[in-house]
Amino acid sequence: MSPSDFAIADTCFLIDWSYWSCRDVLFKLFRAIFVSETVLREVKSERAVEWIATALASGQLALYTEAPDVMGLATRIVERSRLVPGLRGVDLENRGAIMAVDLLEELSGVVVWRALEVIRGAIKRGFIAGDPEQVFKLYEEETKHRFPRAELEAVISELRGEAREVAQAGGGGEGD
Amino acid sequence: MSLEEKLEKWRRLEEEAKEIRRREADWKFIEGLPPRQRAALKYYVETGDIRTSAKLAGLELEDFRELLRKANVPVVV
Repeated sequence: MSPSDFAIADTCFLIDWSYWSCRDVLFKLFRAIFVSETVLREVKSERAVEWIATALASGQLALYTEAPDVMGLATRIVERSRLVPGLRGVDLENRGAIMAVDLLEELSGVVVWRALEVIRGAIKRGFIAGDPEQVFKLYEEETKHRFPRAELEAVISELRGEAREVAQAGGGGEGD
Repeated sequence: MSLEEKLEKWRRLEEEAKEIRRREADWKFIEGLPPRQRAALKYYVETGDIRTSAKLAGLELEDFRELLRKANVPVVV
């Protein structure tokens, strides 16, 4: 997982993420995060609006106006997603977007991160310290979001393994 | 992984998500809601489809997300 220059955030992600006490770590992971006008119109709560407005003012978020060609592309992706039996509509829920990049060849170059991958990226890059399991647990408690257990356990195991390797490498260095 | 295998993986994940939503939901709270919101929450528990659920409830997306919190129905993604 490498740091990216920019990302585009969707409504459900921003709403849930705004509930998390470590929410500003998002801005360390990307140089720019775009929020589309459509998404901005859907955000209503004082908590989320204030957080987004503050981030827009400081340049950590940027407003993005969907051009007609982008809307056309979005419509084609939605139509395409409805033609694959078993694939959830990409316009209806987050799982649809994640499934689409997994199942549709033409979207295989697109990267979709859930909160799971964002937190994983933040821990890997040292922006969040502490035991990974406790970090994810805090996110789940504060946002009422749940991660699929098997995927969560795999990520926690990966992060703990990397932490052990770093500790071992550091310990060896001190003994030399 | 073939398309069929990927679809089976996603089907299993959706089953797990549905089970979590069913288990954690505050059914007493849900049953006490007006019919439209009650039906929308039950639809969400079964499908995880937040946009259609919000429309069924007659609520904006974020207001429906707040209703999910009150009903203790987690978003599982």
